[in-house]
Parts: sequence; C-alpha cells; structure tokens
Amino acid sequence: MTHALAGLVIAAAACWLAAAIVALGAARPAGVRASALVSALGGVAAAVGGVLLAIHGAGTTLQLGAGPAGAAHFRIAPLAAPFIVLLGAVAAANGLYAPRYHEPARGTSVYLIVYNLALLSSLAVLVAGNVVAFLVAWESMALTCYLLILRHHTRPGVARGAFLFIALSEIGFVLIVLAFAILADHTGTLDLATIAHRAHTVPAGWRTAAYLLALVGFGFKAGLVPLHIWLPAAHPVAPADGSAFLSGLIVKLGIYGIVLFGYVLLAGGPAWWGLVTMAAGAISAVLGILYALMERDLKRFLAFSTIENIGIIVTAIGAGMTFTAYRQPAIGAFLLIVALYHSLNHGVYKTLLFQEAGVIEHAAGTRDLDRLGGLIHRLPRTAVIFLIGALALAALPPLNGFVSEWMLFQGLFQGFRIASHTAGILIVVAGAIIALTGGLAINAAVRVYGIPFLGMPRSRPAADAREPGQPTGGPALLAAGCVFLGIGAPLVLTALDRVARATTGLDIHSELLVPKLTVIPAHTNFSGFSPTYLAVFLVAVSAVPLLIWFAGRPRARSRRTPVWDGGILAFKPRMQYTATTHANPIRVTFEALYQPHVHVERVSDDPAGRSGPVHYRFEVTPIFERYLYQPATWLIRKLANLARPIQNGDVNLYLLYLFVVVLIAYAVYTS
Amino acid sequence: MTDPNTELEQVSSELRRQTLSIFGRSLHIRTVDTGSCAACESEIRLLAAPHYDLHRLGFFFTPAPRHADLLMVTGPAVRAADNLLLKAFEATPDPKAVIAVGACALGGVYTEDELVHGAVDRVLPVDVYVPGCPPSPLALLQGLLVAVDRLQSRVAALSLELDGGAPR
Amino acid sequence: MAFWFYRGLRRGIVTTRYPKGELDPWTRHLPTAPAFHPDRLTPELAQRLAVGCPAGAITTDGRELVVDLGRCTACGRCLELAGDAAAPSGESLLAAVERSDLIKRIPVAGR
Repeated sequence: MTHALAGLVIAAAACWLAAAIVALGAARPAGVRASALVSALGGVAAAVGGVLLAIHGAGTTLQLGAGPAGAAHFRIAPLAAPFIVLLGAVAAANGLYAPRYHEPARGTSVYLIVYNLALLSSLAVLVAGNVVAFLVAWESMALTCYLLILRHHTRPGVARGAFLFIALSEIGFVLIVLAFAILADHTGTLDLATIAHRAHTVPAGWRTAAYLLALVGFGFKAGLVPLHIWLPAAHPVAPADGSAFLSGLIVKLGIYGIVLFGYVLLAGGPAWWGLVTMAAGAISAVLGILYALMERDLKRFLAFSTIENIGIIVTAIGAGMTFTAYRQPAIGAFLLIVALYHSLNHGVYKTLLFQEAGVIEHAAGTRDLDRLGGLIHRLPRTAVIFLIGALALAALPPLNGFVSEWMLFQGLFQGFRIASHTAGILIVVAGAIIALTGGLAINAAVRVYGIPFLGMPRSRPAADAREPGQPTGGPALLAAGCVFLGIGAPLVLTALDRVARATTGLDIHSELLVPKLTVIPAHTNFSGFSPTYLAVFLVAVSAVPLLIWFAGRPRARSRRTPVWDGGILAFKPRMQYTATTHANPIRVTFEALYQPHVHVERVSDDPAGRSGPVHYRFEVTPIFERYLYQPATWLIRKLANLARPIQNGDVNLYLLYLFVVVLIAYAVYTS
Repeated sequence: MTDPNTELEQVSSELRRQTLSIFGRSLHIRTVDTGSCAACESEIRLLAAPHYDLHRLGFFFTPAPRHADLLMVTGPAVRAADNLLLKAFEATPDPKAVIAVGACALGGVYTEDELVHGAVDRVLPVDVYVPGCPPSPLALLQGLLVAVDRLQSRVAALSLELDGGAPR
Repeated sequence: MAFWFYRGLRRGIVTTRYPKGELDPWTRHLPTAPAFHPDRLTPELAQRLAVGCPAGAITTDGRELVVDLGRCTACGRCLELAGDAAAPSGESLLAAVERSDLIKRIPVAGR
C-alpha cells in the first residue's frame, strides 16, 4: 500500500512535469490537447492517491536523494489527503476544460508550462517532509501562480492583480519562514515529523509567537480578512481555469498551513488561539459575503465568495481548537473533519463556478452581471451545471455545501458543553455570524444564477451567446463530484475520520456515523441527519407534485394563454431587475459598512421629467485598502526615504563602506 | 314548425343561463379601463362601500383576470388599449361574462375613428350593457345581477312614451 | 373603537336593501334619459333634437324618433329643447342583455 501511495504521488508529479514539457508545443491545438490530457491524467493519479491515503490512514515517507539541508525529503501524511484529492480533482477538471478554453498560441504555451509547474509545486507543498522542502515548494508555487495570473498581461487590471498577489504572498512568506525558524531553532531539527514530536519542548511564549506568525502568514495566502485584498484583484484577471485553480486549491494551501501548525506541529495550544482563529474566520466569512453581494463582475463575486468560505473553514478550525483545549476533544476532532470536508467541497464547487464563469465570458463576451441575461436558453448545459454549483454555494441540500455547513453549525451549537462561559458565548456569536453568512449566501446564489441565466438578455452580446464549442466536460465532472460529495457523505466522512484519527489520535467514527448512513456531531444525543436518505427522500417527494398534476389535470378541454403580465405591449430587458438592484436591500441595510459613494448625473434639468438618461454610479469604499494598506505603504515609503542617503550612488562612499566593514571584520576575527 | 332562428336563440339563451348559473352565489369581477374619464370607476369603487356593499351579494373585486369570472369594461375602447383588453379577455378563464359599463362603452360620446373603436362590443363580445353616465351604483348592481341571471332585464319592456304607449 | 360601534347602533343599517324591497327614494331624482309625448313631437322638433344631442343618442327619419338609451348621458339638452314635449323618464336601472333592447322608437305624431 505504501508503495502504491508513493508510486501514485510520483506518477502525478511526473505527469505534471511531462505536461509542462508537452506544453512547449501548445502553440498548436494538438499541443494544447496533449498537455491538458497529460495534466488530467496526473490529476486522476493524485486523486486516487489521495483517496487511498485517506482510507489507509497512515502515511509514508519518500526520500529522493539528499538535497541541501535534506531538502528532498517528502512525507505523505494523511492530513494532506483531502488536499491531494482536491488538487487531483481540480487538475483533472482543468485538463478536460483547457482544450476548448485556451486559444493555441505562444502565450498559452507559457501559461500551460507555468500552470503545470504550479500543480507540481502545490503537490510538493502538500508532501513536503522538511522545512526547507516546504519553503522551496511554497515559493515555487507562489512564483508559478504569479506567472499564470499574468497570462493576459496587457489587459487592464492584470498587472495590478498579479502584483498584489505576489506582494502579499511574499509578506506572508516572511512570516511563515519566521514561524518555521522559531520551531526549527527550538526543536533543533528541520524535519517536520520530528518537530511535531518535540513540539512540547518549545517554551509557551515561542509557541504562541510561532502560531500567530503562522496564522497571519498562511492567512495571507488563504485570504483571511484583512489580509485578503489580493484575492479580488488577482482571481478575476487570470484565465478561468487559472482562477479556478487559485480559488479552488491555492487558498486551501493556506488552510493546510494553518492546520499543519495548529494541529500537527504545535499539537494544540491554549484555548485563546482557537478563539482568535475562530473570530478571524467568522469576520472573514461575513465580510466576504457582504462584499460579494455588491459585485457586478461575476469573477470578483466568486473571489469574495471564496473569502467567505475560507472564513467558514477557519471558523471550524478555530472552534475545533477551542473545544479540544476545553477538554471536548471529540467535538474538536469533529470540527477538524468539518474544516477538511468544507475545504474539499468548496474547492470542487468553486472550481466549477469559475470554469463556468470562463464559459460565460467567452460565450457572452462579458463578465458584467448587469449585461447578461437569458443564458438558460442559449447555454442550456452550462445553465444546469452552473445551477448545481450555485446550489452548492448556497449550501442547499442534498449537495455538498449543505452537509459541511450543517456539520459546522451542529459543532458550534454544542458550545454549551464548554465549562467557560466566555468561550461558550463567543462560540455562539460565531455561530450566529456564520448563520447570517449562510442566509446572505443564499441571496448571493440566487442573484448570481438568476440575473445571468434567467429573464431576458440585457445586452446584444449576451443575446448572441452560443453553446457549441464551449467546454462542458470539466464542469460536468465537478458537478457530479458535488452531488457525490453530498449524497455520498457517509463514505467521505469515513475517510476523513481516518485522517482526523491520524492527525489528532482520536477515533470518533462511532460518534460521527451511526448505522443507516446518518451523520451525528460527535454526540449521539444531540442531532442527526442523513444526506443519503435526504436525497432519496427529495427524489421520492418530488413525485407528489407530479401526482397532484396528474390527478388534477383538467378533464374538460383547456385553453392555454400566456401568463398575465398586466397587459403591457412587450417586455423589455430594461424592465428587469439588475444585479445592482437585486442587492439593494443589503446595500441599504449595511450602509455603514459599505459607505458607498453615489454619483448621480442628469443630462439636463428639465423639470418635466423627460431630461434624458440619468447616470447612477455607486462605489463601495474599500476600507481595508484605505485605512490599513495605504497608511502602511506610506509609512514604508517614508522609512525607505530615510534610508536613501545611504544609497546615493557615490562610488567613493561605497568604497568607504567596504573599507569600514573590512576593518570591523578584522577586529572581530582577531579578538 | 318553429323558426330555426328562434330555436337557436332559445337554445343559446338556455345555454347562457346554465353557464351563468355555474357562478352560483359568488362571483369575482375584474374591471378594465379602456380610456374612460374615471367617473364610471368612481361609481364602481362605491360598490364596495357600506352603502351599496356588493360583498353581501357575493361579488368580489380581483386584480387578476385569471381569478375573474366577469370583466367590467369601461371607456370607449381606445385603440391603444386593444392589446390590454384582448389580453385580459384571453386571460380570463371560461365561463366568463363581459359587462360594458357607461355611455362611452355603449357607443355614445365618441364615434369610431382612428383613435377609438367607440364601443366595447366592436372589440369583445358583450353580455350585459349598463347604460348611464355614469351609471349609479344601483344600476351597476342591477347589471351584475342580470349578468348572473338573478334578475331579469326589464328594459325591453320600458317605454319612453309618456302617454302610456307600448314600448317599441 | 367603541365610538364607531355606538354610532353605528344609533344610526342603524345604512346599506341599501336592493334588490329586495323598495328602491331608495333619491334614485327618482337622478338625471335620466328623456321620455316624450308623441303627440307634441313635430318633425322639426325631432330634427332639432337629433342635431342637438351631443352623444348621438337621438336620431330621426321624420316619422319616428329613435332614442338609444345606451348612448344617452342624461345631459338634459333634449329636455331643454323639447320643452313640454319631454320629461325625464325617471328610469336609471337600464341593464340590458341585448343591445337592441336599448333602442326605443317614439312615433312623431304631432304636427
């Protein structure tokens, strides 16, 4: 078994390396297809490997020769299993998607090379067994992702998005290096497994420092508020499968880092770590969805929705750590399972939605929700698949989003089992915030599906959209995955339970799944729910309206007439809701948060009312950029200006520096 | 041997009576304004007031033609309202009746030209005509009751000759 | 709340009894379509009435006066013109199933 695992991981890595090489020929359609196929095969290998790893429940190590500081040491641990499965699924879906999406060109060739190297780096991050291997893989992943965002670098917004991505990634990287350095220094080793064993020898203050550094450092990559500003800038401007990869997998690497530090390397800590993490997650979740609702750009909306879901996952992680610290380890393990499950679920449906956003952008020529409409007639298969993705986004049963969010709520509602009242109240508040998020997410899903697909097209390009030639294989695979992850939750949870057992040492299988396919939240007397039976029930109960229709069919001759519309002459597309107006109640309610700037321009001031078009524009105030990042960059510039005199370009001054340094070195060496 | 026309009329009026008796004691009315001055609408609105109270007779107003049994049409059937009138008529399920209310709807005041039809029965088949400008609410009630066959129309027997001549 | 209740009790039921019982007395004073004395109608008067009706309810062919009750708006111009040849008919409840029931013919008997 361990040989099979190692073999599959190596096979996946080899496939992606091969795909990168084959992509050199992607200036021709055959090249694109070949590269995508090999990439997809790599994805299948990784997914199968991840599933086997989860089921097997124990990892293996892989030593590929000795690099500097043991850098080629890899460890395939069960904790990485859900992420490896997700990586495989994303790679496979993108492989099916790429041939019909990308135009064969030299830019595509570079893009596919970089993309496959990014897949390879992500796999390396997940199986790194050594601090150096982890850091090298992390930086490679960041660099290759930066390059793949720059695919269409001449378009507006791309350069800024890529820059923000790499800048914040590097800031996070510094913090991650510091965190690892603290641990490596105090445990005296660079091997991750050994660090985990010796974690208890690190003094408490340093442990806290390491965890907080890791939380913020990985939080930059994951997209926690206020570390998130690169996400809505970078994800929309990448090509659709690149955005899918970024939102589906890369942010999950940040999650993997947080879980790695919280559960493995530091093996738990004081309860306030968990509460801080949970608070950060809850705030990210609600702010993410609130900003998402104000977006007209489909891909920016999906980017903010990613922030929301990352918030949900981090809330689960934080709450799990809190429960474990307050001696409720079963619920703690349960919430770890929830975090991993939701990472997997969100990865699958967000990849699907981004791929479909790419289809819409190519077919209708725009990503602006206020210019789309009526696509359900023009892109019928896309409409069905997007609907499944939107239902998963809204966390509606029986799909996967619902199961993981239900489990999260059931975990949070058990806060009463904690002895500390403060922590219990904070957990309840987090539950309330997540509940608000869930409600807003349903609104958002209705808006993101209803406005582009239903009704009438709001612009000529949307009316001219056509389906033939658009990729449907990749999204369809992911939609099937969403359905399977929801209905087949008992299977998935069995595997995740093994992962949690390997990570926390606690087996909660009997408090997770009872016979008859029912999921229970770590205690048998609290609640229970069976996604499989629910799915069967939903199918069965949908027979009731069919029966009613059949029995109530009119026996007399009936007459069909159009729907009564008030007697108007014709529906015009401008009579419909737009995405902006659909979100208006939210905008008004949360005005204090958005602080919108509204511009209204009238062409003339004719009081008779026929003054011509009125232009209404509103902008949400970007409070994080304005109040956090701009002051910080101003301060850094000021400090840099202070240091400018040292680098004034005068060669004589530099020679003086050299001379002084040599003197000092001589003095130190001889003393 | 009865005149076939008379027989046809008898059969059709019997059919009409049976159709309208389906309405029983409860009826939903949808008003359609095809360009009236709204005096008829004012009188129609008074029907729901306590003084006349059409609810005690089982009549109700509804905004949706789908729920209506009866269309009460006012106004001289302006051509711009053709689409509206025909759509409302199509949307009302059978069995239905159409009442034309007011002098405008019956052909008075406006003659047929390129802007108006002049009379509602040039557009829709009308079942009951209620003259007046505007008809008082009692006249409207009479029209409604005639439409559902609870009262007989007596205007055929009315004579406009003050010396007691038979109506012609 | 109690105020309206006692007011209603004091005033009694104001809803009309129609279709049962007598018609309300005020309906007799409504403006209504004209009724004519045929022997006081002359062809010239008939012609003047046909021209003077703004709603086009009155037409004549010299021998008969044709009054379309459906078109009449009860404006009263014909009553002014006809003087003692016409009087208000007092009939305001004129619902008809057949359109032709509303067309009344009065012989122009006078000279």
